[in-house]
Amino acid sequence: MPTFRFSLAMLLAAVAASSVAAQTKTPPDLTGVYEIVSDKTVLPGGLKNLGSPAGVPLAPAAKDQMKSVDVKTDPARHCQPVGPFRMTARQENKIELIPATNGTIVMLFEDLSRGVMRTIYMARGHRADLGPLWMGDSIGKWEGDTLVIDTNSFGDQTWLNEEGAQHSDAFHLIERIRPILNGKYLEYKVTAEDPKALTKPYTYTRYYERSKTEIAQDNCREDGE
Amino acid sequence: MRKTCLAILLLSLSASVLAASNDPPSKDWTGFYTLSRDKELAPLGLKNVNMDLDKTIVAHLQPWAKAKMEATSGSADDTGAVCLPDGVFRNPPFAGRFLWLPTKDHITMVFHEINTAGVRRIYLNREHPRNLRPTWNGDAIGKWEGDTLVVDTIGFNDKSWLMSAMEPHTEETHMIERMRIVKDGAYFEIVTVVEDRHALTSAYTYTRYYKKQKDEITENICGDAIDIWKDWRNQALKPQLDRARQVK
Repeated sequence: MPTFRFSLAMLLAAVAASSVAAQTKTPPDLTGVYEIVSDKTVLPGGLKNLGSPAGVPLAPAAKDQMKSVDVKTDPARHCQPVGPFRMTARQENKIELIPATNGTIVMLFEDLSRGVMRTIYMARGHRADLGPLWMGDSIGKWEGDTLVIDTNSFGDQTWLNEEGAQHSDAFHLIERIRPILNGKYLEYKVTAEDPKALTKPYTYTRYYERSKTEIAQDNCREDGE
Repeated sequence: MRKTCLAILLLSLSASVLAASNDPPSKDWTGFYTLSRDKELAPLGLKNVNMDLDKTIVAHLQPWAKAKMEATSGSADDTGAVCLPDGVFRNPPFAGRFLWLPTKDHITMVFHEINTAGVRRIYLNREHPRNLRPTWNGDAIGKWEGDTLVVDTIGFNDKSWLMSAMEPHTEETHMIERMRIVKDGAYFEIVTVVEDRHALTSAYTYTRYYKKQKDEITENICGDAIDIWKDWRNQALKPQLDRARQVK
């Protein structure tokens, strides 16, 4: 019996140590430029893009509301920010991640007009004093090699998709970003929750390839879009 | 013997200069900075130079450029008034709020007025590419000279104005900035020289100081209230336009 107790204690200690090690492990360096892979691309292991903002399960009231929306007023068509949920799924999207020494990770978009900038705060909780925001208030933490971003405080300026689905002020995103295939790619999974507009949480996945190219100065309106 | 000593001295001096010019400063410049006013700077022995930049620029304009400035219809020709990019000349000396984000091979400056001034990337490990496509913010490269980052920017388009009075420039515009932190990292100094042989009679220069902030950079989407923004720009712009046009 003492031997069993000793073994159990050793096992528990080992589990605790490995859990602590996982939490205290140096997070991966995500610094760099990444370009979204096309929906046709299949990465090693059968990994590929799944779902899209068009697939959100709308509540009946949100479906009705969508019918009255004129898609010509889509912020994307007017070079306005589309918000993180739509932006990260956009074809040809290119992002730059900059982990800064001030406790933030900055995400910049080549399509600056629509993507703008996101600041992910790694050393604080959500602020209660922030008004409705286009990009929301993002806080992050590391779970092993995965960056988990929690975003709330969205306003009603952005849409859920180009069909005109609207979210409410209860819109909440949980994003999980991790490097895969020796850091050559990023896996990006986002789950959208909105108890007022969606019948259930919805998740889509995108893969981004690390790029050696520079971010270009891309001015949406200048291109006549 | 004397020749040998001199050679060794010169070698060691040049080695130390080389080392200084290739190494970034040990202090981390990361942060959010906002333009400081002279009232705050005076007790520190610092001073913004050429604060009335419109006056300075107008005095350097070639006749055609001054005529073009006078022919503009103010905010109607101001791309920034409708949330379009308006280049990198006007924001830093006037509004001047930016995030400084260094990485290994480039530094990113994100302007608070992100829709108009946008984002600048200063590349540290390359020269200007050949056949640059003209852009609003140009192509910026930086070299360390001791504790100073010298930023050389070319490749601008000619759609932006040099300042609020709608002073034009050409694609030949060349901007050289000397950036360093002072007062133990509390302030960011930028000494800027702008030259354009086709639009200016000679180069003009100005200095600005930016204070490091503890606050977070806030979200600032220009189109959030475009009418309010446009009205504000009109009101703020008119006195500057009127004043600049009186400069002889």
